[in-house]
Amino acid sequence: MLSHSEASENFIADAERTDWHDETLWFVRAKRDNASKVLPEWEAMREHASQIKDHTLANLGEYLQAFEAKAIANGIHVHWAADAEEHNAIVHKIIAAQGSKTIVKSKSMLTEECHLNDYLASKGIEVVDTDLGERIVQFRNEAPSHIVLPAIHLKKEDVGETFHQHLGTPKGNKDPQFLTEAARQHLRGHFLASEVAITGVNFAVAETGEFVVCTNEGNADMGAHLAKVHIACTGIEKIIPKRADLAVFLRLLARSATGQLITTYSSHFHKPREGQEMHIVLLDNGRTRQLADPKYKNSLKCIRCAACFNTCPVYRRSGGHSYHQPVAGPIGSILAPNIDKKANADLPFASTLCGSCSNVCPVKINIHEQLWFWRQDLMEAGLAPAGKTIGMKLMAITLANPVIYRIGGSLMRRFSSLLNTNLNPWYKQREMPVAPKESFQEWYKNR
Amino acid sequence: MRVALFVPCYIDQFYPQVAVASLELLEKLGCDVVVPTDQTCCGQPMANSGFASSTAGCDANFSQNFVGFDYIVGPSGSCVLHLKEHHPSEKIRNSVYEICEFLTDVLHIKALSANFPYRVGLHQSCHGQRGLHLSSMSERNEKPFSKLQDLLSLVKGVEVVMPAREDECCGFGGTFCVTEEAVSVKMGQDRIKEHDANDVEFITGADTSCLMHMEGILRRQGSKVQVKHIVEILNHA
Amino acid sequence: MVQESMSARDQILGKIEALEPVNHPGDFKGASKDFDFRASLEVVGARVMTTEELAIEFPGRRRYDKTLDGLSLAEVEVLEIDGEFGVAENGAIWLTEEALPHRVAPFICQHLVIHVKKIVPHMHAAYEELKKPNASFGLFLAGPSKTADIEQSLVIGAHGARSLTVIIHA
Repeated sequence: MLSHSEASENFIADAERTDWHDETLWFVRAKRDNASKVLPEWEAMREHASQIKDHTLANLGEYLQAFEAKAIANGIHVHWAADAEEHNAIVHKIIAAQGSKTIVKSKSMLTEECHLNDYLASKGIEVVDTDLGERIVQFRNEAPSHIVLPAIHLKKEDVGETFHQHLGTPKGNKDPQFLTEAARQHLRGHFLASEVAITGVNFAVAETGEFVVCTNEGNADMGAHLAKVHIACTGIEKIIPKRADLAVFLRLLARSATGQLITTYSSHFHKPREGQEMHIVLLDNGRTRQLADPKYKNSLKCIRCAACFNTCPVYRRSGGHSYHQPVAGPIGSILAPNIDKKANADLPFASTLCGSCSNVCPVKINIHEQLWFWRQDLMEAGLAPAGKTIGMKLMAITLANPVIYRIGGSLMRRFSSLLNTNLNPWYKQREMPVAPKESFQEWYKNR
Repeated sequence: MRVALFVPCYIDQFYPQVAVASLELLEKLGCDVVVPTDQTCCGQPMANSGFASSTAGCDANFSQNFVGFDYIVGPSGSCVLHLKEHHPSEKIRNSVYEICEFLTDVLHIKALSANFPYRVGLHQSCHGQRGLHLSSMSERNEKPFSKLQDLLSLVKGVEVVMPAREDECCGFGGTFCVTEEAVSVKMGQDRIKEHDANDVEFITGADTSCLMHMEGILRRQGSKVQVKHIVEILNHA
Repeated sequence: MVQESMSARDQILGKIEALEPVNHPGDFKGASKDFDFRASLEVVGARVMTTEELAIEFPGRRRYDKTLDGLSLAEVEVLEIDGEFGVAENGAIWLTEEALPHRVAPFICQHLVIHVKKIVPHMHAAYEELKKPNASFGLFLAGPSKTADIEQSLVIGAHGARSLTVIIHA
């Protein structure tokens, strides 16, 4: 697996596509800016939403149990999964009971986190992703590169070619309208035929035992309402206390994500349809560990709007796949190390700590500060790349001692031209600063 | 007013003119400036690389040099932010100022005798802007303000132009600039492209590290655009 | 194979320790009020018509009919239903299962027509109306189905209705 910096270098090698990716996502951020700036109460709403989430996390156990009791009373089957393996096994058992071989699924980053599609495939069950972007990347055997815009790394030519191969659309047709229509027809067949539908969950309301799913395409609803069995998969952090809390979250979510006033469909699943079976799977998978650490607890406030992706100058220029995780971008970089420190030790360093992510976050997660904390924890866990620890220790010794510092500085200035080599990553595409004859301190002494 | 001048290590070694301008400017404005001569580094290079556990020596040296000062002023938003957030001494955390905020918030200067008849692009360094709130931020729904622009407006002849994305990061990011070389350089090139589109003669800002990064790219490109720390402009006769 | 049991539940709840208490901030106060429902409908891609215009646009439209089930609805071209209320700030209309032939109806039809008799200013006022769930299924619907998953080009009519027409009776 390539590290973030290696994968980014490959991504940037296509400068034109990188510029397109950067500009397209910047445009999404600009739409978010416009949507937020026409509301004088924007910052107050962020604070309000943040407080609701703080309150919820402080009482998560109670709210989960309240949700469970209400949901059961509503006729919803409630399942608990400690980890991805349990989650997948629960979902499989429900599908197997129906005897289904093909099922539909709307967007759920949680099922990506659990690698549910691969798991079900190994059991002989085909999952058809129904979000257009997800269907595109599924055809291509790729992972989504963005949690809201899964195929944002692709150009319409790529999609045209993919649909030509998989749906038999005319070669060379790259018209988004035409391709979307082709997907509509193709997926309508699956919606009508599928007996089981999986959806994600945006919010689960403790007060009422209902859950809310937001889409623009309508694919979650097409799947859920036509299927005999609806399985909703959610992380335990998606709980909110009251129905009225939805107001502030629905106001923030779409505006932060795409600059829309609200997603086209915000569906409130309270009870199963007559004759329908409805399940909800509550997943932990490391979330309780995160909750127990005051440094990282706040990352559980995330409502998956991806505003931090769109604003991140690194994400925009490195693409989602460079993060090698289902959830990329700044938020992914603080979530992933909680699940696997070693595999994700590079991600908290894939940032300049510019802080823009924390500023756009609708629930005020201190993302850039958590990136900093993860850096400390990862290095303490001994996960530094070769040579870094010794280099840092030497640097610390040099910079802590004025005498060594002065000698070192003087040597560095005198021999700085030795650094003009391609072994020096700085020098690859940048000139080294011109070394002055005197340091400031030397000048000051003779002033 | 007694002020201790904090000269970050890389400014001391590679950009002494920034420290000289800071010293002269503060003196011109009537401050009694002390330069602790055994100062080295704030510890940020280690801390941001995940080795905050190794900064005790730097922290102690900083304390020794700056103990007893009510105003510790430095020409680097990033280093100042690090001290404000992470130095173990509360007294130090509360006494350290980035030089622009010191000029606007403590000295409340309303006039300068500076002259700089050039077209200048302003780079908002992230740690100064988002960390120290030297200006309003494009992400937030807040009243626009800029301490840097307020100061530059006191300089005769200068024409300040903002890049299209007025507060996007330049990609320096400390050790990020070498560990994530490709992204870092691309970010810097993209910033420069926007300043070029504005036909600027200089790029300025309150963080020498960002300017050093952009200068490295500019020089590699053979560009005529130069970088100057904002205090060099505020101190320019 | 992992057996589903009470243990996962107990395990998860057992790991959650109560944190320092934080108060719930209550209902949000201070929302702007000067929103225009018609303007928001335009933003979300809906059309506003009079009943006369509607008759010309969809002469052969079908009214909500309880005898239809989900699958035969696939044939329905135009579905005409009543919304409970509209939200001025975002053009969303609250629909409930009770007012629908089937939950899938507003999604599976090709064109959707909704009558709106009541408008509230914003989502906070909307949930004032919805303090208690009044249906087994309800949704806010704002405009026709859409996607921008291919190069961020907006395409109307992804999986749900290709158009939304709103008749305002307020």
